[in-house]
Amino acid sequence: MTTVYWMQSGGCGGDTYSLLSSNILDINDMFKNLGIVLLWHPSFSNISPTEHLNMIDNILNRTLPLDILILEGAIIRGPAGTGMFDTKNGRPKKDLFHSLAMNARYVVAVGTCAAFGGFGVDHSIEATGLQFCKRKREGFLGENFTSLSGMPVINLAGCPCHHDVISGTLMAIASGVNLELDEYQRPIEWYGTMVHQGCTRNEYHEYRIEESDFGEMGCLFFHMGCAGPLVPGPCNKLLWNGQSSKPRAGVPCFGCTDPEFPRATPFFYTPNIEGIPLQLPRGVNRAHYMVYKGMAAEAAPERLKKRTSKV
Amino acid sequence: MSNIIKGINIPLNRVEGDLEIHVDIADGVITDAWSCGTMYRGFEEMMTGRGVLDGLVITPRICGICSLSHLTAAIGALDVLTNIILPDNAIRLCNLALMAETIQSDMRQSVLMYMVDFANPAAYSLHPLFEDAFRRYEPLKGSSAIDTIRETKSLVEVIAIIGGQWPHTSFMVPGGVTSIPEIHKILQCRMIINNFRTWYEKRVLGCSIERWNEVITVGKLYEWLEESEKHSESEVGFFLRFAMEAQIDQIGRGTENFISFGSLLLPESTIVKKNAGGRFVASGFAQGTKVELFDQFKISEDISHSWYHQTNDGKALHPFKGSTKPYASGNSGEQYSWAKAPRYDGFPAETGPLAEMVVDESPLFKDMINKHGANAMIRELARIVRPAKLLLIMDIWLDELMENRKAPFYTSIKDIADGEGAGIIEAARGALGHWVSVKNGRISRYQIITPTAWNGSPRDRNNIRGPWEEALIGTPVKNPDNLIEAGHVIRSFDPCMVCSVH
Repeated sequence: MTTVYWMQSGGCGGDTYSLLSSNILDINDMFKNLGIVLLWHPSFSNISPTEHLNMIDNILNRTLPLDILILEGAIIRGPAGTGMFDTKNGRPKKDLFHSLAMNARYVVAVGTCAAFGGFGVDHSIEATGLQFCKRKREGFLGENFTSLSGMPVINLAGCPCHHDVISGTLMAIASGVNLELDEYQRPIEWYGTMVHQGCTRNEYHEYRIEESDFGEMGCLFFHMGCAGPLVPGPCNKLLWNGQSSKPRAGVPCFGCTDPEFPRATPFFYTPNIEGIPLQLPRGVNRAHYMVYKGMAAEAAPERLKKRTSKV
Repeated sequence: MSNIIKGINIPLNRVEGDLEIHVDIADGVITDAWSCGTMYRGFEEMMTGRGVLDGLVITPRICGICSLSHLTAAIGALDVLTNIILPDNAIRLCNLALMAETIQSDMRQSVLMYMVDFANPAAYSLHPLFEDAFRRYEPLKGSSAIDTIRETKSLVEVIAIIGGQWPHTSFMVPGGVTSIPEIHKILQCRMIINNFRTWYEKRVLGCSIERWNEVITVGKLYEWLEESEKHSESEVGFFLRFAMEAQIDQIGRGTENFISFGSLLLPESTIVKKNAGGRFVASGFAQGTKVELFDQFKISEDISHSWYHQTNDGKALHPFKGSTKPYASGNSGEQYSWAKAPRYDGFPAETGPLAEMVVDESPLFKDMINKHGANAMIRELARIVRPAKLLLIMDIWLDELMENRKAPFYTSIKDIADGEGAGIIEAARGALGHWVSVKNGRISRYQIITPTAWNGSPRDRNNIRGPWEEALIGTPVKNPDNLIEAGHVIRSFDPCMVCSVH
């Protein structure tokens, strides 16, 4: 048996609705298979407020073992560090989360708000992620926090997080697998490839067939603000809702798995110098990349130039 | 001597975010209520100064269950500034995606968040239908819960086919949509919707949509219920039987002011008929069942009881003039919620499927209200049966899309002019508006009024309660530790607190 307590704070519930699209199995079957007992979920539980309070007491005095504590949404610290922008019974909700985190075997941040703070970091709500605040390892639980298992916070980035990453992480923990994490504590299993990988527009990218308007077949990286080559994630590998991804449907990747999401510069636009993006695909050498792309554009086949290849 | 309990605080879950209700109880009946949205999120503040298209990426993230509604409202506001005629196919694709989102929301709320209370043994172990309810609605285990999870998961694939993913895509852009699905994907959408409809008719209605549409009076509803076991054992039938036995039809009357902004633009060429306001879902404001024309300039937001700086001497403002400056003063004064108090022509108004039915002149729901008044049961019933109205139209738009597949889905827009625009639509939970001001190519003001702000509004400066505060008055309380009746009243409005405290 693996117990799960799911808490929501400064967020939209989108990770919960993402999880309902789990491709691995429908969540009811998945929980049953893995022996997961969902102690509490704000959107699904039907116990009374009194029973809920008793449950929290039992977790805090450790008569009820808590295997996985999930937070969806950012920790809200504002105004001025008081947490009064997000309260439960008049008290800051961040305090309740802190107490629960001290008693959990694993702590999982689901979604970019919980992982890195997301939308409210630079605003009055003073949002932060659990162990990170954007790129800095100075989130709510502190840089040295580890849960009872010895693992730091597991960051399932994404806005929302991909459904199969959430189910996959539950599956791994319930099966006793320790996930290897990257520098921002995202499991390499899913954040070891770029969003670009598997995009059906890759051939257009390869030969630098660029688009600067919506509704076309070509690559959205050079002008339309697509972050697919810049950020990691499985969107084009595992697909969304078993069907597609934003770039496949002509919507640029907004880079939502990045600690800096949402970026300060306008969406749907690639900051550039003389047509070359300021930010190049992760890890490439700028001079080599420019030569390669110049040659690639020269070598582009007609079927791509004429946009006859489907995406 | 009467038994008075003052200031009980009820935290409510299954309301998409955090909600606490303070109630006074006298002799086992709620005598007063205060609705408190306990979180502030600051989305309007964070939009100021951003790029003009950024609302299309950021505002859907206000809500994980109605993210496309926010996208639709955000693009609606920009469409006013670009002033172009959208290609028919763009309209069809936007509508199909939005309708799929609305239907998943209606079904998930009804089964996973509303009827799940019927499976609460602490409240209903003595109810004659309890065993059946538990078998159907036990959280994530009941047969109806499992069906709903499976069927809605399949339905949102339609949105992913059109827009790439759900939730949180931004496929609607100024001038249209970013792509049109390939032929086999359009055909797949049709199959998904047909499959969903088969399940909806068999399990949720227990009859064909056409048969359900014959239920146009309260009398015919009872006849329908008794006509066959298929009807009485369906989700609708079971809901009605359980709710009447539990007297959910006796609680939650509310203000009986109803507002619908109207929604779903019609393509130039379509066989679907326009309703009041020129769109598929009618717009209007009603007191009781008397409907009048809707005028968005009669909307204002009052902040006298909300935790915001009291600008403009506390006078309510139209959202083109409104501001959002948080002030966390705690529970010491007049202020008690992060939700503002929207008013129409000065009145509080409820919004959502029931309001849509009234404004749309639905004979069944008008008859129910005229005979017995609004209540928590019919408010929830309107939600469970709304998909019947949408599924028929989805079919038509898919056919039209197939026939016109080669026609444009996007018109190029190079610049968006400075100015003001309002995107006014019906989300799953009711009236949603985005009011945007653009100056020098940047967003200079962004105000949002969500459905739950209407329904869960606090008092205004005339001390008039919001709709569900009003609806709670007179609600009986059997057990002050488990105020399940109050929960039924509030959840009949399908609260989305994350939206209302954006």
